[in-house]
Amino acid sequence: MKKNPDKGYVALLGWSLNAVEAAENFDRRYVVVAPDWAEDYCQKHDIPYLSWNFERLNDRSMEIAETLKEMGVDVAIPLFEETVEWAGAINAVLLDNPRLYGQALLLRDKALMKRRAQLGGIRVGIFEEAHDKDDVIRFLKRVNQTLLKLDGDPNDPIHLKAFDKAGCLGHRVIRTPDEIDTIPDEEFPVLMESHLDGWEFAVEAWIHNGKIAFLNISEYVTLGYSVFVPASPELEQYRPQITAQIEKLIKAFDIEFGLIHPEYFVTSDGEMYFGEVAYRPPGFKVFELLERAYGFNAYQATIMVFDPRATDDEVKAFFPKEVVDAKGYAGCFGVYPRRRVVSRLEIPEETEDHPYFESHELTAPLEETVTKRTAFGTHWGLVYFFGDDPHTLRDLLKHQEELDFYV
Amino acid sequence: MTTHHDDRTPDAGRLNDLLAKLDEATAILADARDFAKPGKVRRVFDTARRVMLLEGGCAAIEQRARALEEAGVFIGSDWAHPQILIPSLTPHSLKSSDADTVVLEALSELRLLAVAHGTYEHSLISAEQAHHYLTQVLAINLELLFTAPSEAERETQGRLALMTRRLFTHLAEGIGYEHVIDQLIDEIWRILQQRPIQTDPVKRMVTQIAICRANPEIDLGTSGQGADRLVSSLFGPTQACREDPGVAIYAERLQAMDAGALQYEATGFARAMHDTGLVSPYHPVLLRHLLDHGDHLLAEALGLSSTGRDCLLCYRQLVQALIEEGVHPDTAQAVYGLALTLERGILYQPPVAPALWRQIGLPLTPWSQERLRLAYGDAVSPRARLLEGVLCMLGLPLGVGQGNNPTCQSARALSMWAYNDPDYLLQMVAWAARDDEIIMHFEGQPISSMASLSGVATTLPMDLDPVSLLVVPHLDRIYAEMGRRCIGREGDPHRWVNPEFHGWWAGRGFRINVDVETGQLEALEDFLRHFYASYHPYYNGNQPLIHPQPAGIAVTDSAARFIGWHAITLLRVTLDPQDVMRAYFFNPNNDSGQDWGDGIKVSTAGNGERFGEASLPFEQFASRLYIFHYDPLERGELADITQEELDRVIGYIHRSWGADRLPANGLQAHPGCS
Repeated sequence: MKKNPDKGYVALLGWSLNAVEAAENFDRRYVVVAPDWAEDYCQKHDIPYLSWNFERLNDRSMEIAETLKEMGVDVAIPLFEETVEWAGAINAVLLDNPRLYGQALLLRDKALMKRRAQLGGIRVGIFEEAHDKDDVIRFLKRVNQTLLKLDGDPNDPIHLKAFDKAGCLGHRVIRTPDEIDTIPDEEFPVLMESHLDGWEFAVEAWIHNGKIAFLNISEYVTLGYSVFVPASPELEQYRPQITAQIEKLIKAFDIEFGLIHPEYFVTSDGEMYFGEVAYRPPGFKVFELLERAYGFNAYQATIMVFDPRATDDEVKAFFPKEVVDAKGYAGCFGVYPRRRVVSRLEIPEETEDHPYFESHELTAPLEETVTKRTAFGTHWGLVYFFGDDPHTLRDLLKHQEELDFYV
Repeated sequence: MTTHHDDRTPDAGRLNDLLAKLDEATAILADARDFAKPGKVRRVFDTARRVMLLEGGCAAIEQRARALEEAGVFIGSDWAHPQILIPSLTPHSLKSSDADTVVLEALSELRLLAVAHGTYEHSLISAEQAHHYLTQVLAINLELLFTAPSEAERETQGRLALMTRRLFTHLAEGIGYEHVIDQLIDEIWRILQQRPIQTDPVKRMVTQIAICRANPEIDLGTSGQGADRLVSSLFGPTQACREDPGVAIYAERLQAMDAGALQYEATGFARAMHDTGLVSPYHPVLLRHLLDHGDHLLAEALGLSSTGRDCLLCYRQLVQALIEEGVHPDTAQAVYGLALTLERGILYQPPVAPALWRQIGLPLTPWSQERLRLAYGDAVSPRARLLEGVLCMLGLPLGVGQGNNPTCQSARALSMWAYNDPDYLLQMVAWAARDDEIIMHFEGQPISSMASLSGVATTLPMDLDPVSLLVVPHLDRIYAEMGRRCIGREGDPHRWVNPEFHGWWAGRGFRINVDVETGQLEALEDFLRHFYASYHPYYNGNQPLIHPQPAGIAVTDSAARFIGWHAITLLRVTLDPQDVMRAYFFNPNNDSGQDWGDGIKVSTAGNGERFGEASLPFEQFASRLYIFHYDPLERGELADITQEELDRVIGYIHRSWGADRLPANGLQAHPGCS
């Protein structure tokens, strides 16, 4: 698409083909900042490219910021958890705002993030950092004492998460002290959280000039397995409270622009508990689902709200109206093999015969033996559905958990 | 949110829903930029697959063929160039366990059907070409048209196997059954002219035709006439088994025959066998019966010439034993192998007859027996099966095929020994089958096939003739080990491996026209002049090639693109019936009739080839050659071939596998005088 020189020039940090395609079809100038393995591909397809290996921040970090500044880039957009602090560091230079780096660090560390949220008056569960297995045993005991459990009562579980990993990577649920022994030492330190019985959901909020431009609620059918957008009417009824929570978050983290992706629990009494927040596009292809449901490209939306030259009117015109403008409900299901030994991929007939079924991105198994899942791990691929009834879709997604895709 | 779906809409309704989705997915794909297309093609594949599973789905895809192709479903794959597609590759893609491969192949077929029908004018392929291509595809995949999915297919493909059947019914209706059968018959004859040892695939196809002709629901029109010889040669070559009565009844009928009737039967079988290279299961019944009826009838039933008959009379007892042990209705091809072995006169080489006696009594190791049973079943003893294989390999040394395995070197060696050194081949078979070990020497060091860990093939090949089945795994490991012992030496390891592996007659002199380090062409003119000087009768003092020589070929596809390096045997260089100098060679690949692109089509019949030989005009052959051996003591002057001829050969190279191997200085203009 023809680029408009009066609009912003953005740097995309990290390699995402869908993001590149979106930028290519948008009127903003862009450059992809990615490791050198992307270079040949970018050259072949005329994709503006700058080589950078995102390792730990070091004393060369200024170099990339200076290079981008010389190129006239206005802002850097992180596409992955690992590039969030890079974007903070780079934007501190590009936008001449040193605070942005501190903000990014806050958004990268789950323990710091929770403390900041708590300070901002947001409800969080009980949490603590663990440096070894003893810490975990102590926390599990204390949480269950607090809940007035007697010896022999089944424990309430606790959750363990890596400090700085995206989504479900490294996420474990612990119920008994024996399970603690299965945690490898190299996973420490971790963040421990009490379990909240309730409904977990995620939000994608595009923020421009400190205000919410678009707020999507993604409903998890089962955490780590399935998600759909927009949320069902039962969850959407909390939209006003959710909006208020997001506004608190914007204030607590002092966010002026960008895309945030927080997770919450809503308990049976309607109370919202903050889980965590990420300053990057969500996983599980929620952006693709949004495009399927609403027709707007969420990457372009992100470029728009990051662009310091975007006007309020422009932003307003870009986004549809939440829920009512959706053409239907789009969901996806992450497939994990259920058997220990698998030989091939076979989409269940009932799945692909369902009118909501759209497509899948599963590939044939490379190994016959399925590695036992300890943490939540990564799914083997997604299956996409689209239809016009949220309850049919929800039940359909739930039902997929009982089917074998690998046999 | 306007449309409403009912979970139980009938087929037509579901088809319409799916087609709407397909059209939407196609439009998204069409709008995507090239680099983003791979991400968008998934929805098209998934939806197209479900469409093709429904009644009328294939027709609907055919109507959308142009839109699908223009949206980019074929971009980046061979299917984007329909003019180079090869029908013989379709069975692999259509039976793939990878759904996308099957769907792509199916979409491509339906696109070509639209082209053949004239509803889609394609810039790269004409309606006639598309029609021709599809008839070949149908012929090769005939079983998809007439048989239900086998267990194996169901296991690997699930419902996809039903999709390919719907596809083929639609294709056959679009093209016409009559074209399919005639094409298939031509194809069978083309393969049979190469006289392969393994005839099972051909026999299956002939059986398909027989079934098809017997089915009153299939209107073949006037086609299928040429199938008579094929069908009858298998199921009823003579008067007494014309109606395919079964071997037991046939054996009874033989009891009642007088000499005249037996003579009639014998001639009938012999003619059918030598016409087609196929042997009917009735033929062994007659042969065994004739063991008690004198040599004349036996020679007649084998269709022997005077050479063969002499050989039979000299070695009467051996032949009797070979028939008793190795010739059964389940090993019918042994008859043909025996007949040709006698015709070759190799029994007159002193070690061959005693080696065959050893073969008859050879005890097989449990491992060898197990391998033969796994591949061929239990109908006859493993020893009889192996004996059939031995007779066929001795009779048809150029009928050896490597199957679907990367073991061209081993197949070539077996063929070369059967052709040139038959008692050595028999020794190899004995070691492999009786001892589970072969020891060969490399530069004085023994190499045992037991001690060498791995060969070129990563899994044990199964789709081979009985001899190859047992011997190739050993040879393959030894060959790989010889290669390993050359690691670190400068240049191509074949220089040392080929003569040690194949035999003393493989020339120790070695030339290669590719720099192993860089892959660039090297000293091309010298290479060619030297090759002409060694092999071309006009330049080597009119010396016919004496021993078969290993050579290396750069194989190219029908678009002249480089595919890989391949081992062949150079057998003869001589003038063909049109007075063109031709190179005749053996290609261990299962079907030598290949199109190597840029006008180079390997011929297998009609240009003076013997059974199993492939041939090319000398220039064209030279243009695909990259390795040859010569006798260093005989090396003469480089051939003084004309620059014109040299340029023609080099032109072929530069337009094909050499295109991206030009050394840097070859691209520069001649340096001026400064």
